[in-house]
Amino acid sequence: MQRRDFFKQTLTLAGGAVVGTTFSEASQQVETLHPVDDRKVSDIAFPQKRPLITYSDRPPLLESPREVFTSPITPNDLFFVRWHMPMIPTYISKNRFTLHIHGAVERELKLSLKSLQTEFEQVELTAVLQCGGNSRTAFKPTAGGIQWGIGAMGCARWKGVRLKDVLAKAGLTKDARWIGFNGLEKAVYAETDNFVRALELEKLSDNIILAYEMNGEDLPYLNGYPLRLIIPGTYSDSWIKMISNIKVTKEKMRLHFMEHAYRIPDNECECETPDNLTQKTKPIEKMNVNSVIGYPVSGIKVKQGAELIVRGVAFDGGEGIAKVEVSTDGGTTWQEAKLDKDEAGRYAYRAFTHPITPKQGGTLSIMCRATNTKGETQPFPHEIKWNRGGYKYNGIDEVTVKVVV
Amino acid sequence: MRSVIKLTAAIIVCSTTATFADSNKGIKMPYIEFPMKPGKGMYSTKGKCNMCHSWGYTINQGPQSKAFWRKKVIKMIEVFHAPIKNEDIEEVVAYLYANYGNGEED
Repeated sequence: MQRRDFFKQTLTLAGGAVVGTTFSEASQQVETLHPVDDRKVSDIAFPQKRPLITYSDRPPLLESPREVFTSPITPNDLFFVRWHMPMIPTYISKNRFTLHIHGAVERELKLSLKSLQTEFEQVELTAVLQCGGNSRTAFKPTAGGIQWGIGAMGCARWKGVRLKDVLAKAGLTKDARWIGFNGLEKAVYAETDNFVRALELEKLSDNIILAYEMNGEDLPYLNGYPLRLIIPGTYSDSWIKMISNIKVTKEKMRLHFMEHAYRIPDNECECETPDNLTQKTKPIEKMNVNSVIGYPVSGIKVKQGAELIVRGVAFDGGEGIAKVEVSTDGGTTWQEAKLDKDEAGRYAYRAFTHPITPKQGGTLSIMCRATNTKGETQPFPHEIKWNRGGYKYNGIDEVTVKVVV
Repeated sequence: MRSVIKLTAAIIVCSTTATFADSNKGIKMPYIEFPMKPGKGMYSTKGKCNMCHSWGYTINQGPQSKAFWRKKVIKMIEVFHAPIKNEDIEEVVAYLYANYGNGEED
């Protein structure tokens, strides 16, 4: 490989961007800024994917570029990817795959994909899948975890069966309280705990499904082929991919990934400071209201006096989006954007459009802000308080374009 | 000759139907190089961390304090059973902090 090629390739990897960042003494100042927004997709595509912003190949960690967020449905090959364990099966036989249901049940079950597709009511729903650490780069000092920009999210139409129906077939015992889930991903050392997540039985709802189809196709391997758990309205930490094992228990299991990961301070502001970390934490769970601009992307040139249609998506944890507003004066005044029809349900993206005509040359800032039906809205980035995991960022999104005369 | 072709075609049809239309052939994951910053302890760190996961996974924690990196290395040993001996912890932490640190001890 030519030296120049090597350098170019390094730059296209997000890792290169992080390595190149220099930090001054002031790095410990606690503040929240707009997330990193200048990363490019890699020149290497992963299987069943178009090139995405690439943080790691083992395990694969891929972020969708901003352009994706103009569409109310995220295409499968542009959908972000996040795994916890480095060893992921690269071949799964559709015919031999089984889902094992055991523990506090009347009948232990081993269900094939065929039995899931033929013995249960088939259901479909559209839901946003978002990593709890999406936009983590907003938090200073740097919060531990993958340094995501805005693209650790997507929205898909999922088809599958209700978890409730599958559990009913197994028959839960009277004292069943918790449902533990894990998939086929593995750590390198066999003694390592699996990535197991657990759901309290009282939180089981009709909307929680085991999905074998994503946007009308088999799930891509990197999004959990052939089966994954869908828990609409919540961050995706428990949306187990390649789900193969469901263990029902009477007692709450002691699980590393439940006790130490995806937790925020259990206080009103869900915040803390690096010098004074809170002792009591809670799971991140329900998503807060959020919106991003898909077009234009930062850095492009637009023409003065020519109409420009701002496009983006908005969503929340299932209350429903009431309005999205756009500002072109740094957030002083806001104009209501046009929302698409509310056809895909309260867990889906609402796409929005808003035409603007840049009046003068120079740099133009465009912001968007969503409000849900409960009146909850997005704060400015600097108003968001820090937490050590860098979770639940939902600051007002902003892009800047250059208006040319 | 023609009958041989017919027979071959019949066998292909049979064998594909016998596997119940599972058209998926699996995937092949690409290998991507995440260059490490050269420095004291690089090779030792490479062996200990990269045997389980990519260097990208490490450096995308962002620039962090010495205490953060030490906590991560200990977590890798305690939770993920990384084969890092107690006497080698500080060498890995020193490399991480010197090259991917934020200037803060704690």
